[in-house]
Amino acid sequence: MAKSQIYGYSDKLSVKAGDDIKFMISAEGTATFKARLVRLIHGDEHPDGPGFLEEPIEAPLDRDWPARKQYVQKGSFLQVADPARVLAPGGAFTLHAYVFPTLPGAGRQVIIGRWSVERNLGYALGINGSGRLEFWVGDGAQADAVAAEPLLMPQVWYFVAASFDSRTGNAVVHQQAVLNRYNSLLSKIVPYDYASHVSERLRVRPGHAGDVRFLIGGASERSEARGEFVSQCYNGKIDRCGVQGGVLDGRELAAISAGGKPGAADILAYWDTTAGYTDRGIGDTVIDVGPHKLHAEGVNCPVRAQTGWNWNGRNDCFRLAPEEYGGIEFHNDAMTDCRWEPSFSYTIPAELKSGVYAVKLTAEDERAEEYVPFVVRAARPRAPICLLLPTASYLAYANAQLSFEADAVQAITAVTPILQDIDVEIYKNGVEFGLSTYDHHADGAGVCYSSCRRPIFNMRPKYRMPAVCCPWQFPADLSIVAWLDHMGYQYEVLTDEDLDRDGIAAIKPYRVVINGSHCEYYSERMMDATEDYLAEGGRLAYLSGNGYYWVVAFREKQPWIMEVRKLEAGSRAWQARAGEHYLASTGERSGLWRHRNRAPQKLVGAGFTSEGMDVSVPYRRMPDSYDPSVAWIFEGVRGEIVGDFGLARGGAAGIEIDRYDLTLGTPPHSVILASSEPFTDNYPLVQEDVMFMHPGMGGTQHPLVRADMVYFTTPNDGAVFSASSIAWASALPCNGFDNGVSRVMKNVIDAFMKVGPLPGKR
Amino acid sequence: MEAFRVSGASPAVGDGAIATNISAAADLTAADTRGAWARPRLRVRYPFTRRTPLLIRVAYDPRSLATRRTIVDKRPLYWVAGLILLAIVPLLGSNALLSSSTVFAMYAAINIVWILVVGTAGIWSLATLAIVGVGAYGSAYLSITYGLPWWGMIAIGPVFGLICGIIIAIPAIRLEGWYYALLTVGLAELCRVYAVQSQALGSSEGGLYGAATFIPNGVSQRTGLVISFFAAFVLMLAALALYRVVNGQRLGRLLRAAPEKQEAFAEALGVNYRAARIRVFLISSAALGLIGGFYATYFTGASPSLFSMDNMMLLLAMITIGGIGTTGGAVVGTLIVVLLDQVFVELGPLRLIIVAAIMLASVLFTRGGLFGVATQFSTWRSRRKSERRAQRSERGGEVMPDEATEIRDKQTIYVRRFDETVRKHLRPLVTDEVIAEHKRNPSGPHSDTLERLLNYFRRAAITDKYGILAVKSFAEYRVIALSGRRGVPPRVVDDKVYATPDEAQHAVFLRRVQDLMQS
Ligand SMILES: [Fe+2]
Repeated sequence: MAKSQIYGYSDKLSVKAGDDIKFMISAEGTATFKARLVRLIHGDEHPDGPGFLEEPIEAPLDRDWPARKQYVQKGSFLQVADPARVLAPGGAFTLHAYVFPTLPGAGRQVIIGRWSVERNLGYALGINGSGRLEFWVGDGAQADAVAAEPLLMPQVWYFVAASFDSRTGNAVVHQQAVLNRYNSLLSKIVPYDYASHVSERLRVRPGHAGDVRFLIGGASERSEARGEFVSQCYNGKIDRCGVQGGVLDGRELAAISAGGKPGAADILAYWDTTAGYTDRGIGDTVIDVGPHKLHAEGVNCPVRAQTGWNWNGRNDCFRLAPEEYGGIEFHNDAMTDCRWEPSFSYTIPAELKSGVYAVKLTAEDERAEEYVPFVVRAARPRAPICLLLPTASYLAYANAQLSFEADAVQAITAVTPILQDIDVEIYKNGVEFGLSTYDHHADGAGVCYSSCRRPIFNMRPKYRMPAVCCPWQFPADLSIVAWLDHMGYQYEVLTDEDLDRDGIAAIKPYRVVINGSHCEYYSERMMDATEDYLAEGGRLAYLSGNGYYWVVAFREKQPWIMEVRKLEAGSRAWQARAGEHYLASTGERSGLWRHRNRAPQKLVGAGFTSEGMDVSVPYRRMPDSYDPSVAWIFEGVRGEIVGDFGLARGGAAGIEIDRYDLTLGTPPHSVILASSEPFTDNYPLVQEDVMFMHPGMGGTQHPLVRADMVYFTTPNDGAVFSASSIAWASALPCNGFDNGVSRVMKNVIDAFMKVGPLPGKR
Repeated sequence: MEAFRVSGASPAVGDGAIATNISAAADLTAADTRGAWARPRLRVRYPFTRRTPLLIRVAYDPRSLATRRTIVDKRPLYWVAGLILLAIVPLLGSNALLSSSTVFAMYAAINIVWILVVGTAGIWSLATLAIVGVGAYGSAYLSITYGLPWWGMIAIGPVFGLICGIIIAIPAIRLEGWYYALLTVGLAELCRVYAVQSQALGSSEGGLYGAATFIPNGVSQRTGLVISFFAAFVLMLAALALYRVVNGQRLGRLLRAAPEKQEAFAEALGVNYRAARIRVFLISSAALGLIGGFYATYFTGASPSLFSMDNMMLLLAMITIGGIGTTGGAVVGTLIVVLLDQVFVELGPLRLIIVAAIMLASVLFTRGGLFGVATQFSTWRSRRKSERRAQRSERGGEVMPDEATEIRDKQTIYVRRFDETVRKHLRPLVTDEVIAEHKRNPSGPHSDTLERLLNYFRRAAITDKYGILAVKSFAEYRVIALSGRRGVPPRVVDDKVYATPDEAQHAVFLRRVQDLMQS
């Protein structure tokens, strides 16, 4: 038998007493698997720290469960429920669409049709394996097709159509470029003749079966093991498309291709991809404005709000000119929900204290192990301290494939990646659980959606991010959990989802909020809540580097899905196409918060300035830190050096680092308590600070490359302590939690959790 | 159909949807969307098939981007031209050439059918000529004894062929390859001995003669020869058509999908492989019988030489020289052997030696006979070319002009030149001190010299880039190379194991230095 494999996820990341949490598990190579509830305490196995720590918790789910493999539907597409079978025309019909193919030639792809792959049944207009437009039909035994002549060019807008005359069997495919000055990769100066019109008499008439789904961007397929699924998924954009009764001739199609609407009498379906847009975003439903109202529903988040065939470059947002934003983008490797059957569920008992938990799953042969982590928050907050796990940022990095796929990664991190078995396993399986917002789809487009309804193999204790050779995000944040536990603090845990959903109400009950080691992705509601909390006297310990950086949004109807668009600036794994800079989920401009005039400095006094992963360094106290108003922070710390140790590359300052900057909105009364010792040249100044390029941007030469430990007070006895470094959290557990970094933390947290004025207040 | 409307400002697609802005289309390339489109190009097919007469590939020329239409498979054109030549040339020659051409066409027909047996059905029968012989003897006997007219002889031929086929097919189910071939040789010999000894089959006259002929009474010798030639030519065309139908249709596709080795696999898929083979064999046998009937009416009889070993060997030479498995090969092979045998009669027995030599040469030096030489040559040439290029790029040499034209992204040509320049400047930086420095402190901070080397290593493209696999974190590490292709796991580069991340990092460094020095 093959090596056993277990993967799982839960329907929610954050639950409270009384909530029901469902676990979706897929297991192979084992007949059963053992489940065990554990509380996670520490996740970094580095020998200089306490190692991996978990605490078993008794729960009814602790038992053996029957194993079964569950499949993943990859690829985004639209499906049309058509109970009356309007789209199974017995007579003549015509299909038409605007398309912007991005990967023609990579296997057969369906643009629009009702096609059953294994039965050779139905009809479809799509792209054949050679990369040409093709219309094909099948009667359940034989298939027949007519293809256009030249190859479709990637990233060029075309109008495509196919008509079929059922009486004569005559089929015609049409393709005609509709490129303008703005909409395509190439302009009219390129002497391609894109047009092709071919007519052929087919021997086969399309058969129809009720159970074959009408799809835009995919075909139906069925196998014994998997049952019904969708294959032959399309890569690229599709704008307004439809099915017309009768054969439309060249003149009629030319008129549609120029933006006209098909004659009302012929419409079987006409999906106006620009209909139903609101100022607050676009959903997954694509509206059929024809008489039958056969609305299409998106699966795996087809990307809306994309520029359409008629985008003219003047408007940069779907809110300004919806009619130019009819593009819906599809990818054959998009995946935002595994849609697995629940394997078991668990009702959170009232006595279970708030914390970070996981269901630990083990195969019979004990060779496969999986942790499905979740957070139990307090039903009624009681503790003074709240640990806010930056789950939005976990999602951004979920299942990232950087070290396998990005040429630049080793140059950025300055280390050779260290992979674990799980990395190889996932990569070998073609990253079937979907990608991160650091990855690219097969056609090179950036991934803008991430979801927690899927196994996230890098959101696991013990996991080490290959590119940086140390724990990242979730497993690194467990070092804060271990520290809080070790120090004996009363604390409760929250996630970004809670903050996004409940706003300030989520954190208002707490005197201190501790943010995780890398809270990079923030929604507007999360920003607002944090800002309001601080203004109302809340206290925040910001233990990140590069926090509050990207503008993201959780989807209204599917809060487990997050969207980001990476724009022209920032440390970005990809860059959105021109004109596609707004979140389809909310209508907000995405990109950096800094470019919406909310630089992180405005919130926590420090913001992203550099990154590198070769060596971390210590902080050295700054003269201001001896002022009695802040000197208490260093009580018990000997010497002026803090953090010349750490599990993240040997120092407390490093990996990704932030700096104080008045021009970006650092509160004017902020103090730089300590600043990092110089970094190597593998820490260059960030791109958003570079107005002109010149040599000498590295850590040994540029004064802006530094981590600033910043402190300032806010109204109503509020305050912010910013460590400004990802490596900070990983320095806490060194020497049995007895070290300078831990001491500074203790001073800050002890002071922050006390009601009333802060120490040193004059 | 209702008149088609393009409503200017507001197509107003129901539900208060947003109007499509037609003016946005004003920027479109005029030729692309204005006015009527070009009429669809009608693609004609052979009747009752999904095939078009010529496979035409339309592609953009990489230099001019002009649309180029090329015929992908020129074989149909060659066939038409070749057949026209074959039909005309004999008419211009002597009577001897005409009758030789008739023999050629007849043998070509036999060989084409034989290819079906050997190539499509995969049955190694050497009784091909024997079946023709039985058809010839049978129809000649009926004609002489019962006065069967010439068309009756051709009509009855397939019956004899089919009977033979059924008898020979039975052992084909049980015997494979070589043993079966031997058996069929034996059967042919049995037929010969019978024909030689049987009184009824004219043992005394050395053959059975006096059958009906299709040449009308009273025509001149030349006219008779011309009629004979065209009759044989039509026979050959019929054989080609049969081949096309059997091999090109479902039966042939089925068999080609399941060559002998995958028999078990095919059967697992529900493909009745054996039945399909036998069916092709029986169809071929009937066709050979028909050719036998034709043979008898052409020669007005039959002779035991039809069953002889030497004739069979000549036939074998024909299909071997041309290349077993293609009809083109069968026709060309037949042409060569008949030409040698019938036209260069003055060479005497030497012709047989020449035939043997050509046969040997084509078996030894070609893959797929003379007919496959052209493809063989072009594969050989492209292999040589890619070998040369691989050597050159391995040495870091500049891209050759002929190679450059084939590189789509011209930037890669520059990058190769640039990389070689960089490597030239980096090689002198590799010293024992630098290596020692890296060993001491793989993470850094590093000297500027070491950093320069590392920067070059680190920015390399991902394909085949080194990485490290933690077999067991903090205990066991190995060096790997990344595939750069999603779904393809990295490969382990050697069997060395390192105990710490630092040791593994240094091992990668040493490999990269080695690659740099060797390139
Ligand atoms: Fe980050």
